[in-house]
Amino acid sequence: MPMELWNHCENPYPFVAADVLDAAEAVRASLPNKYCDPEIAACLYDEVLAEYVHCDEIGLHIVTNEHHSGINNLWAASPVITGIVARLTRKVRILSLGTLITVRPDPVRIAEEYATIDVLSRGRLDIGFVKSGATEMVSGDANPMRIREREWEAIDLIEKALTSHDGPFSWEGKFFIHPHVNIWPRPYQQPRPEFWAATSDLPTCAELGRRSIVNTLLFGGYDRTKLAFDTYKKARADAGLPPPGEDRFSYMAFCYVGDTDAEAMRIGQKIPWFLTVSMKSAPQMAKFQPGNVAPEMAPAAWRAGFSKRPSDLSVESLIAQGQMFCGNPDTVVRQIREFRRRVGGVGRIIMMTRQGLVTHAEAMRSFSLAAKEVLPQLQTVSQ
Amino acid sequence: MRPLEPEFLRRGRGQPILLIHGVHPVNPAAIFVDLLAEHGAVIAPSHPGFGASPRPADFDTMYDLVHGYLDVLDAIDGDGVTVIGFGFGGWIAAELATLRPSKLKRLVLVDAVGIKISGREQRDIVHFFNTAPDELNRRAWHDPANRPRGIYGLGWQATISDEMTDAEMIIMARNWDSLCLYGWRPHMFNPQLAYWLRRIGVPTLVLWGASDRIVTPDYGRAYSRLIRGSTFAVIEAAGHHPELEQPHAFTDHVAEFLRANP
Repeated sequence: MPMELWNHCENPYPFVAADVLDAAEAVRASLPNKYCDPEIAACLYDEVLAEYVHCDEIGLHIVTNEHHSGINNLWAASPVITGIVARLTRKVRILSLGTLITVRPDPVRIAEEYATIDVLSRGRLDIGFVKSGATEMVSGDANPMRIREREWEAIDLIEKALTSHDGPFSWEGKFFIHPHVNIWPRPYQQPRPEFWAATSDLPTCAELGRRSIVNTLLFGGYDRTKLAFDTYKKARADAGLPPPGEDRFSYMAFCYVGDTDAEAMRIGQKIPWFLTVSMKSAPQMAKFQPGNVAPEMAPAAWRAGFSKRPSDLSVESLIAQGQMFCGNPDTVVRQIREFRRRVGGVGRIIMMTRQGLVTHAEAMRSFSLAAKEVLPQLQTVSQ
Repeated sequence: MRPLEPEFLRRGRGQPILLIHGVHPVNPAAIFVDLLAEHGAVIAPSHPGFGASPRPADFDTMYDLVHGYLDVLDAIDGDGVTVIGFGFGGWIAAELATLRPSKLKRLVLVDAVGIKISGREQRDIVHFFNTAPDELNRRAWHDPANRPRGIYGLGWQATISDEMTDAEMIIMARNWDSLCLYGWRPHMFNPQLAYWLRRIGVPTLVLWGASDRIVTPDYGRAYSRLIRGSTFAVIEAAGHHPELEQPHAFTDHVAEFLRANP
């Protein structure tokens, strides 16, 4: 399979005044929505959907997701947005990564929504799963304990709902109960759309490996990503399964492709807003949230002000850590090839480009260059 | 499932006094434990998942806790157990008492959660998990400076210092995780419980810290009104943990209640 480029946009809302954000305990979950101007939001939806249409024309696949109650993301419901994208596009694949299956009460409805999108797009949907956590547990009133177990049961139920075609079946699980599951329509793709999951949690990576689900890492950098992918491969080997192709591995990084390195670095500096501003959270929704870390990890987490965020957020540092691809097309090709080499193979690169104060025009330019100048060079990477 | 084997703190002799703890297990160094032990045999288990008590895999609801405490009552020698429940443990104690276990002789609820009193847009109980640590700490104590050194209550996160050992932190994290498992949603109450409190048939004392701003004394008064014949009393200069902030006044109230209900 040739290497793929995907465009992921969180549709952020970076227009709240800095003094408001500074005074807020968290910019997710608790920030009053009086700071969201619906007129500006409407323009943002227009722009990002136009970017997705552009991607469809030039061959970049599309990722949507959802977060709630905050400046970081205006996609309140991934299936809603994915359905719109399905109708606006014709060619590329669309990945919902994803709706919050540990927050939503009924996986059967999720399966039905995804089946609908799959039919609507005539089989272009990929379904991604995220464990979620942190502020999402607060805004969704979801118990943060046992979300890993809840995630797997939801995935199992969604899979069974998508692949059962002989009338109602019953599900009486630990977390979900549904005595009469029978979704319409059934999915367009048989037996079901491709599954992905975003995680660096090693036991979860191992289970993804045993199930051949695409494992995507978000900003994991070289070492954590390699460890996750190695765990995936080892779990397959231990289970006597064939080695996975590189299409089982995906990586999301910040990305800006410019006409020149200097231009890319200048615009790319806007992207880490995602880390520097949009992740501001309160301790009770982060390090002190139950289940955030295993109890034996708590002393290190609490003493050190534990954070998964990179410590140095300059573009140069993010590039050096493998968390950002940024430069002219040749530079970005080199960076992606180097990343692929150091993590032992990855077939699907997800670019987070329209982030922070990156403008619509800047994003469109980067996508054009990525499709025209970067993607063809990646096809020569041996798989 | 094997019987639960919780860790127990035991002190004193005589009539059994079962303590059902709140956010953290009863600390053996807390003054009120010795004071209460002058009036009977204090027995304080740690709930499954708290302290060093194991938690069976599917033990994760208030239903499990209540039945676990029925087991505990069964295992106590002799009849006539006085149950004292603190905060979250007060909820367990109230649920337990509605089942009228034969060994239960007296009930004391201390700043208990567990019921819904106000309308749908008024919150009765400050959210334990979604409230800033400093705010919790401020609301949980009459004066946070009164907290005995090395003993923790709600708002414990705001009091983490280099004094706390890794082992203590691991236990705190375990307690917090387990509390969340049992009490996240609905947050710290059972919508059905208020109705069934009428079934409580033993002498009951409802004790409240006058300065509790986690669950206010008015909530305590409403709780008491739902339990026939119960007595309501406030302890001055105390918050959500009067047994820690005013251990002598707390024990005096309990001792008087024991004397008045022999």
